Amino acid sequence: MTEGQLRLRLSRLLHSRAAGWLLALLLGALALFSAIALLALSGWFITAAALAGMATGYMLDVFRPAAIIRLLALTRTLGRYGERLASHQAALGLLRDLRSAVFRRISHARQLPRRSNEAMHRLVADIDLLDQFPLRVLLPWIWASLMALLLLGFLALLDSRLLLAAAPGVCLAWVLPWLGYWRGGRLARADVEWAEARRSFLLDSLRLLTPLLIWQRWPGRAAAFTAQDQQYLAQQDRQQRLISRLTLLQQWALAASLLMVLWQGSLLIEDGLTVPLLLAAALALLGLNEALLPVAGSFVALGLSQAARDRLQALGRADQPTPEHDRPVPQAPFTLHLQQLSLRWPGALSGPSDLDLQLYSGQTLLVIGPSGGGKSTLLHWLAGEPIQRQGRALLNGHPPDHWDLAGVIGWLPQDVDIFDMPLADNLRLGNPAASDAQLWRVLEDVALADWARERGLDTPLGEQGSAVSGGQARRIALARLLLAERPILLLDEPFAGLDAATREQVMQALLRRQRDGLLIIASHQPVSAPDLQVVRVGG
Amino acid sequence: MADIDSRVATELRGLLAGQRPLLRMALLAALAAAGLFILQSWWLAGLFSDALRAWQAGEPLQPRPIAGILLGLALCLLLRPLLQYLREICSDRASQRARAGLRGRVLDSLAQLGPSRRRLGADGQLASRALEQVDALDGYLARYQVQTRLVLMVPLMLLVATAWHSWLAAALLLLTAPLVPLFMVLLGRAAATASQRQLNTLGRMSGRFLDLLRGLPTLRHLQALELAEQAVDGAAEEYRQRTMQVLRMAFLSTAVLEFFAALAIALVAVYLGLGLLGLLPWARGEIPVPYQGALFILLLAPEFYAPLRQLGNDYHARAEAQGAMKELLPLLQCEVWHHTGSRPLLLEGAPALELQQVSAAGGQGRLRLAPLDLNLAPGQRVLIQGPSGSGKSTLLELLLGFVPYQGSLKVNGRELAELERSAWQARVGYLAQQPQLLAASVADNLRLAVPGATDRQLWGVLGEVGLAPLLRRLPLGLETPLGERGLGLSGGQQSRLALARLLLRDTPLWLLDEPLAHLDPDTAEQIGVLIDRLSQGRTLLLVSHERTGLDWLTQVLEVARPVEAAA
Repeated sequence: MTEGQLRLRLSRLLHSRAAGWLLALLLGALALFSAIALLALSGWFITAAALAGMATGYMLDVFRPAAIIRLLALTRTLGRYGERLASHQAALGLLRDLRSAVFRRISHARQLPRRSNEAMHRLVADIDLLDQFPLRVLLPWIWASLMALLLLGFLALLDSRLLLAAAPGVCLAWVLPWLGYWRGGRLARADVEWAEARRSFLLDSLRLLTPLLIWQRWPGRAAAFTAQDQQYLAQQDRQQRLISRLTLLQQWALAASLLMVLWQGSLLIEDGLTVPLLLAAALALLGLNEALLPVAGSFVALGLSQAARDRLQALGRADQPTPEHDRPVPQAPFTLHLQQLSLRWPGALSGPSDLDLQLYSGQTLLVIGPSGGGKSTLLHWLAGEPIQRQGRALLNGHPPDHWDLAGVIGWLPQDVDIFDMPLADNLRLGNPAASDAQLWRVLEDVALADWARERGLDTPLGEQGSAVSGGQARRIALARLLLAERPILLLDEPFAGLDAATREQVMQALLRRQRDGLLIIASHQPVSAPDLQVVRVGG
Repeated sequence: MADIDSRVATELRGLLAGQRPLLRMALLAALAAAGLFILQSWWLAGLFSDALRAWQAGEPLQPRPIAGILLGLALCLLLRPLLQYLREICSDRASQRARAGLRGRVLDSLAQLGPSRRRLGADGQLASRALEQVDALDGYLARYQVQTRLVLMVPLMLLVATAWHSWLAAALLLLTAPLVPLFMVLLGRAAATASQRQLNTLGRMSGRFLDLLRGLPTLRHLQALELAEQAVDGAAEEYRQRTMQVLRMAFLSTAVLEFFAALAIALVAVYLGLGLLGLLPWARGEIPVPYQGALFILLLAPEFYAPLRQLGNDYHARAEAQGAMKELLPLLQCEVWHHTGSRPLLLEGAPALELQQVSAAGGQGRLRLAPLDLNLAPGQRVLIQGPSGSGKSTLLELLLGFVPYQGSLKVNGRELAELERSAWQARVGYLAQQPQLLAASVADNLRLAVPGATDRQLWGVLGEVGLAPLLRRLPLGLETPLGERGLGLSGGQQSRLALARLLLRDTPLWLLDEPLAHLDPDTAEQIGVLIDRLSQGRTLLLVSHERTGLDWLTQVLEVARPVEAAA
């Protein structure tokens, strides 16, 4: 499984831990065989004992069968325990690897997931479904087939007519689960979809809980969710019923087989079949239930696995790993020339038009203009978003895509992301190696040091920064960006929600830090800087 | 701790009590199936006993009695699976109904909590409680309760049938039986804690993933993907370890049970076998249990332990349910404050507000809002200013009835805490700092607030906030879809849309949290004028850092940062 290009194939899932799966397979087969043989051998033993007791002179070796019975009891218990440990160890390891690999793929894909809820659900719940394939499909089928064959072999050894009597029922019980192949697969696919829809709906509802409550719309929203929940439950019910019905039919098929064996056997007793062996055959047939019934649900499980696999596959599909040309990194001093530059988001009707400017290291550019006029569009484009461009743009004398700008440009977008981690960890996303002293310095620069001293660097910020105010979140994001020490800074509304004094303090720090770089700010607020250019975008 | 456990037990019992008829039916079906099993074993033993006797005597088997027995057997083999099927249907239905009811209660609690739900966890975690943790009760609801009855009744039935033939064999079974529940309780205790930890870990892992996925653009930009990947690896590995811990416990308890069952069956088999051979030390040459009885007991013996073994698995379901319920408890029994007022409210026009020494407590002795006085006549409008963290937003949430307060807060002379909250909120218009938009069309987003609004009304309010010209130019108009978090609109446009939604509701009191923060001075001026015009005749509290566009707000309230409460 390479990064960026992860092809999921269910059969491949077993490769990474082949030894573990093989061990589980062997131990499971041993446990099942022991269980069936235990039943058959005890029946045989007690009947043989009765015979020996009735007829003097009929000698029975008591100790060897008794020892084998004890051994089988032991291998049954230990085998099952070992099989479960081995298979789940392998399965859970597999799931962990898949989560890591899928997250890497998502994070490197060119197109990021549009709905993070769905992507999260896939990483958590869909990946959990993938272990159904080995645990509930592959291993049970191998065991069921193996045990059925062994049993039929045993019957053939006793008498071929006994085999003929038993075979139709056993084969039917083996074939019946296949009836669930289509319907089970279809139901399972729908299941994943319903589950995902249910979760997304709930998450959206929770996000809007407060306004919905105030609008008195929560009861309606809750009712809609309940309806969705009911549909999901009904869907699960259909799956369960399918499995139950197939199990029922299997049990009947095996019952028919047992009755046939008993009838045929009673006729064969005169032909030399011994009663102890006939009982052994009948009990083994009863024991076969344990091996064959688990496969009734296998196709629903298979469907679940396949559906989960397809959805994971679709995450970030059509993605080649980003081409890594060896592009040079621009060095200070920087110059940015824009000539007759016009920008449009794909499908947008308007955007910044006919921009002309020349910006040099140490200078500050203030982008002003009305809301929706395209200030953010300009910053987005400078930050490397795919935006259609007309006109000329040169950075240090070359078009921007000539350069490797990943470590050069620092961008503070309008919506900042604060992570559910302590303050220090959030900041260190900008520079993992930053010392505490560096953190304090940058907090000082964004006028958060007093606040941080009150709370400590370990203060948790909450999901999406819910533990801090909107203005604080912006400044934390700014501090994080400053820690990354990018020579070109693009700041979209860095001062929103700040009072004039704080604004001035932050601006001075920005100027000091960007002395040799470029500082580009889109803002509604007035900004003062010694070497300031102002460009008006839109309107 | 004991208190929590007993509350968990009460909740679980309550869930089961609601589904009694269905569960009783399931129990009856299972008992009938057990009865059929005894009959089936008896007939099978009889069949082989006949065969043995005939074979011993060298006579051919009589086909008529054989056919009769086979017919009886066929009936048993036909009906038993059918009864099991019936049991499953009843149990599943009971579980579904109970879970649906519980989920409804969880949603109600969340509605009670409103913005305070944050204290119980992030939204991702809360969602996973309402979904996965409620569903984690399935095994307990569908199987455990019925199985606890069966585990007594079925072995008792089998014991009576065994004692009929051999007191000693019955005694052997009886002696080993108590070992099984003993071990189950011991292991079950440990399993309950482990499985609760596992559920916690699952919640944390989901939360961590959601957090990182949402922030992927930022992480990428900061070139911090490696840190994120490490965080994912860590969370996934923790989850793996916790799950394996739980499973190991479950497998071990099953293995122990099976071991005891196997031991007991082996003892019984040896006793019966030696007895048939006449080799028992205390009864040489005697046959204490004849063949038919011996075979009958041997067939019954595994089934004697089967319900116990099943309960061993389901005990796990119980542990899982207890763990899940423990997580749900804070949600179900809201320990946080909850608005209890019930007096109806009649607001004809704009209300008067009278706040005296109103403050709000945060956690750990901190104040979220320092004591505050404010008097607003009907239709009076006030600008609220203050440094970051002074509790301006808290004041608005408090006025909405979501936050407990100290002091006195009167609406038209009536204490807010005594009013019925929903009636109050129906008359309040609120705008949060972050525009709260769904990934749906513009029309859907507006109709979220007022479902019955006509297109005309929508165009009307959109026109008033200055969005109509833009939307008319777009091919889909009102049906233009928005992305997650309002993607596709600029910050200013999002604010305007939120404002349009506010206008649509037309309430006599407005609480606005930084409505102009994202607008440029020109537009802020325009929207400010618009708010001025539209809020005429309404009581208005507006939180803002800036005065731009808000010159018309003559009354200003300065909120001071709360001083740390003395320890």
